[in-house]
Amino acid sequence: MDIRELTDACVHCGFCLPACPTYQLWGTEADSPRGRIHLIRQVADGLAEPAEVTGHLDSCLGCLACVPACPSGVRYDEIIEHGRELVESARPVADRAVRAGLFALFPYPRRLAAVRGVRPPQWLAGDARTAGDARGAGTDQRSTAGPDQRSTGQIPRQRSTIGATAKAAAELAPPPGPRVPLPRRVAARGTRRAVVGLLTGCVQSAYFSPVSAATVRVLAREGCDVVIPRGQSCCGALPLHAGRTAQARRLARRTIATFARAGVDAIVTDVAGCGSAMKEYARLLADDPRWAPRAARFAEAVRDVTELLCDLGPVAPRRPLPWTVAYHDACHLGYGQGITAQPRELLAGVPQLRVVEVPDGGTCCGSAGVYNLLQPEPASRLGDRKAQAILATGAELVVAGNPGCTLQIQAALRRAGSMLKVRHTIELLDAALRPVAA
Amino acid sequence: MTLDVLARRLRRDLGDGAVITDPATRRTYECDGLTAYRSMPGLVVLPEDAEGVQATVRACRDARVPFVARGSGTGLSAGALPEADGVLIVTARMRRILDVDLPNRRAVVEPGVINLEVSRAVGPAGWYYAPDPSSQQICSIGGNVAENSGGAHCVKYGFTVHHVTGLEVCTADGELVRLGAGRAAQAPGYDLTGVFIGSEGTLGIATKIWVRLSRSPQAVCTILAAFASVEQAGAAVSAIVAAGLRPAAAEIMDALAIGAAEAAVSCGYPPGAGAVLIVELDGPEVEVEAETAAVTALCGEAFEIRTATDPQRRAAIWRGRKSAFAAVGRISRDYIVQDGVIPRTALAEVLREIERLASAAGIRVANVFHAGDGNLHPLVLYDGTEPGALGRAEQVSGAILDLCVSRGGSITGEHGVGVDKAAKLPLMFGPDDLATMRLLRDAFDPDGRANPGKVFPTPRRCAERGGGVPAPGRAAVPTARTGDGDGESA
Amino acid sequence: MSLDLLEAAAGMARAAGPADTVGGRPAKYVAAPGRPEQLAALLARCAAEGLTVVPRGDGSKLDWGTPPSTVDVLVDTARLAGVLEHPEGDLVVTVGAGTPLRALQAVLSRTGERLALDPPSEEATVGGVLATGEAGPLAHTYGFPRDLLIGVQFARADGVLASSGGKVVKNVAGYDLGKLLCGSYGTLGVVTSATFRLHPLPVARAWLTRPVHRPDQVVEMVEALAASPLTPAAVEVDLPPGNGRPVPRQRGGNEPAGPAMLAVLFEGSALGVPARCHAAAELLGAESDQPSIVDEPPPWWGRYPFGAADVGLRLSVPPAELAATVALLREAAGVPVPVRGSVGLGVLHAALPGDLPVPRLAEILATVREGLAGRDGWCVVLCAPAPARAELDLWGPAPGLALMHRVKEQFDPRRLLSPGRFVGGI
Repeated sequence: MDIRELTDACVHCGFCLPACPTYQLWGTEADSPRGRIHLIRQVADGLAEPAEVTGHLDSCLGCLACVPACPSGVRYDEIIEHGRELVESARPVADRAVRAGLFALFPYPRRLAAVRGVRPPQWLAGDARTAGDARGAGTDQRSTAGPDQRSTGQIPRQRSTIGATAKAAAELAPPPGPRVPLPRRVAARGTRRAVVGLLTGCVQSAYFSPVSAATVRVLAREGCDVVIPRGQSCCGALPLHAGRTAQARRLARRTIATFARAGVDAIVTDVAGCGSAMKEYARLLADDPRWAPRAARFAEAVRDVTELLCDLGPVAPRRPLPWTVAYHDACHLGYGQGITAQPRELLAGVPQLRVVEVPDGGTCCGSAGVYNLLQPEPASRLGDRKAQAILATGAELVVAGNPGCTLQIQAALRRAGSMLKVRHTIELLDAALRPVAA
Repeated sequence: MTLDVLARRLRRDLGDGAVITDPATRRTYECDGLTAYRSMPGLVVLPEDAEGVQATVRACRDARVPFVARGSGTGLSAGALPEADGVLIVTARMRRILDVDLPNRRAVVEPGVINLEVSRAVGPAGWYYAPDPSSQQICSIGGNVAENSGGAHCVKYGFTVHHVTGLEVCTADGELVRLGAGRAAQAPGYDLTGVFIGSEGTLGIATKIWVRLSRSPQAVCTILAAFASVEQAGAAVSAIVAAGLRPAAAEIMDALAIGAAEAAVSCGYPPGAGAVLIVELDGPEVEVEAETAAVTALCGEAFEIRTATDPQRRAAIWRGRKSAFAAVGRISRDYIVQDGVIPRTALAEVLREIERLASAAGIRVANVFHAGDGNLHPLVLYDGTEPGALGRAEQVSGAILDLCVSRGGSITGEHGVGVDKAAKLPLMFGPDDLATMRLLRDAFDPDGRANPGKVFPTPRRCAERGGGVPAPGRAAVPTARTGDGDGESA
Repeated sequence: MSLDLLEAAAGMARAAGPADTVGGRPAKYVAAPGRPEQLAALLARCAAEGLTVVPRGDGSKLDWGTPPSTVDVLVDTARLAGVLEHPEGDLVVTVGAGTPLRALQAVLSRTGERLALDPPSEEATVGGVLATGEAGPLAHTYGFPRDLLIGVQFARADGVLASSGGKVVKNVAGYDLGKLLCGSYGTLGVVTSATFRLHPLPVARAWLTRPVHRPDQVVEMVEALAASPLTPAAVEVDLPPGNGRPVPRQRGGNEPAGPAMLAVLFEGSALGVPARCHAAAELLGAESDQPSIVDEPPPWWGRYPFGAADVGLRLSVPPAELAATVALLREAAGVPVPVRGSVGLGVLHAALPGDLPVPRLAEILATVREGLAGRDGWCVVLCAPAPARAELDLWGPAPGLALMHRVKEQFDPRRLLSPGRFVGGI
């Protein structure tokens, strides 16, 4: 569908506004789904230049909370991707430089691993007005705090953007620890019920390899042969959600090819953003006659690990974990893939584990891919809100299905003075499946 | 003072982030929920509190420019259509609940507070705010005040004017004035709160609102009854009213609307229904039980009846009705939604007449309506790309309003007159009536700066033909409208 | 000469007699138009001659408010009476302003309907109830006259007839001038006819009565009722002075002062009402104070606690401040003061002895108003014997008074309608 048809579906009812985190923060039409659709249409109709709308599109988290809220079935996810493509080429030089740098880094686990622990220089990060400093006055409850004074339609000054990004990067420091190497293939314990391939991802594999290790163990214990293909690439989620379609397509083709050789029933990921992106490969490569059919088959076979485990049904015995945990719905799991029941089902299957719901749980934590690096101020306000909501539950642990969320929420909790930890759903399951020492 | 100077002054007074001047962003405010009317505001200002509104209005006064207030921009009569040479004052950032006083059953809220947020805030304590427009998850209390909004439950509980006991308003000359009794029930003097509510922003801007809170009912029962025809459904409602029952809501959808809702949200209403009736009963449990039995008996002609008392199943019944407006977008490219009212007893006859008008024009009309109080929402469906279709749709739409008035009803039950129906206001009120209403307006706003061009038909507007910038992608707005023309200055 | 012209316009007019006074001010003429057009012509004639006008229904509240500066013409609305439209099954009625409310209710009850208004003035006309915004116990659920009025026709000071609202309940077309006219004491126009929304007569009604001893006890009980699911139709309290002094009836005579009492009305179905009454009895009962359930209201229900010889007050306060308000009033008065009213709404009526010297009365009023200032509380003197009514500030402060003056300026720039009767000297 072309952009006009896609935007025509919007009847301007405004039901998306309350679901949108940036509308909640700023109350401006142009930073709401309805407004962004209007802006993208303005560009498509020649009423506005791409440069005029870039700021508002960049402020969109891509959390997709607006999609289920829309009664007319507007495909905002497709519209915003079109929009990001439209503005990508019109960015000013400094902006492009920062982005190029980020996207030369992120999709590549080895490069990510190399910069781990590297702190940005003080002169760059120190004087920037950023995240933690820009918190608005008053408590951050939706009904009582006014939003920040935010210049709309203007791209922040170049120096402070880079500086802000650097400082945010410093705050979002990944956990220490060496990378856990994964074998090429792990056999199922007991009866083999499926052969699955595991996407190790970029951020996940660079910073959270213990999570992948846990994923492998759980899958094996639940009767899966797990294949971890060598030379797999980033799935392309980060560039895709940022409008860098060419890079995303390249990475998608490589991913498809890698797993095609692996001979697996399903491609499993423990990263919400990756699952969401890979399930869209059919649309991403729809215009490529050579790859379209393969992409469609591939997309059909993608599963989030929680999804797959629920499909298979539990076989391994669980031991009790007498904890209270708050489950955080990653946007690309909940909104992007409609997966909300499965993680909860798995957690419910752990004896003595109590799962509490986070108030306002449908609102993004602010991670949103590399959003928290490019838009540190709204990201940190959203992070702070999420931290407050989590702390209000009294939970002892936070459980989430996405490394970006984990980093974001962890940083926000620390800012709030809490030492609460964030773990992946699969790590909890791994702990429950581990046999008790004899 | 030009708008540029005005913008500089307001940036200085309210901060950079409160003033929007760049064209693309301003253009996103060109319409509210009624997209057929678009007009780019000269300037957009987002104050954060009453003093900010006051500063903005004073600046407008000094610059002698008009202003229009906008809440969430979901209105359906173009009441928030901006003035091209004026300021659009957006209250979306004024969303604090300033006070909750449960012993006195009041809350004080800023105009940008979303309707449902009030109920959410007091819900855990067992209270709620009764007026429930279908857009309540996004429409603002300030907007509700401007339009005197109702909602499905207004047949029993009344409208905004019955649930607001006090206001602080910013008048057009920039004074903040307290009106009404606030936490008490009655204050001495003229009921200025009563006339301000429903005045569609033409008397000033409400900057604080005292709302009355209601106790959440002990029991709620929602009944869905499927009938072979709308006549039968309407007859059931008449029987319910004649029996002395007071339902909290009574909604009817016809077959076309049901089909759209099914396509949109798979509401699962009984297949083959010519009409469905949703009746809601609430109150003390013992009364609701008695009423449920009575209503079920009075729906004898229904071929299927479903009754629900738990929240999930009740929500499932309501889902189809709540999605109705947006859902018709799936069975038709474009549509006009009307808001006429007729005496409830004339329902069957008027619906037959609407059917006749529609088929004569070759246009489909889906009907959704508040059967309890005769408020119709005919959804006039058309395809904007088809030549002449918009004209026929508007003709049918206008004829429906004429029909409503001829039966002793009204041109608008809840959406307001705005721009959309200003030309029809003389159907209901003669020149003396309108002149008398203007006396009130002159008392509040002698210079005519508050939302001018709304509600009252003006000769200038009626003479303007050839509407402005076409809605992107849609056929150009034809001559029959009395909307503001191309207002963009960029 | 004026009388002939008045008679020509109104159809019926005469010179005023000794009983034709407003707050002690004698009128010159009395005119009784029979149709809206005659009323309009009458007001046009008065405007042409600069004659001041005060409308009169049954006159029960004619002496309320500040005595007008002059009354040239008393407009008697008796002939503007009758049910004009009452379509079957629509729950709507249009009625002439001169219709006694009691007569209207009788007509409506024949079809199982009622106008949910029960003001204490038993003989009041519809026009009088609208002009004073008078309400009774049912206001707890159904609101004040302005909440039930959906359409109105009236004559302006310049003799032009105008309408607003309509005949259907859901109607937001144009300004709702009916709201402006309600409670305006005839200072903005003279109503010719009004359209109301109606309600079905309840199948069953019963009252729960319970002795009370202290005003704060009352507040607790009312809050308990409000928080319960029982949804009473009306909640009233009677707090007699407790000195054995009988409480005068509005139309003369006295009623014996009983014990202080809370009375709650329940309306609904034949099974539901007794069930809710019993539940309420359990909620509000105490060992020493057992509630009773009765079919008739107590004798003080829906009646003012003041008579012609008293200074009649209306206090409107937030409901939770009832006890504090009663204390404020009684302390300021220094004498036992009977208080009675709608506790769920916070609308209370009280009586001060009419024979207190005017300076003393002024002092009491000032103290009470000072105590209520800035807290959403108002104290209005509804009626008082001469000379108090002419010398006291009967109305006190009003919110938005400057705007009210501007409204009056627009509707009646020459101040011909009930001049000086209303707030702020309007």
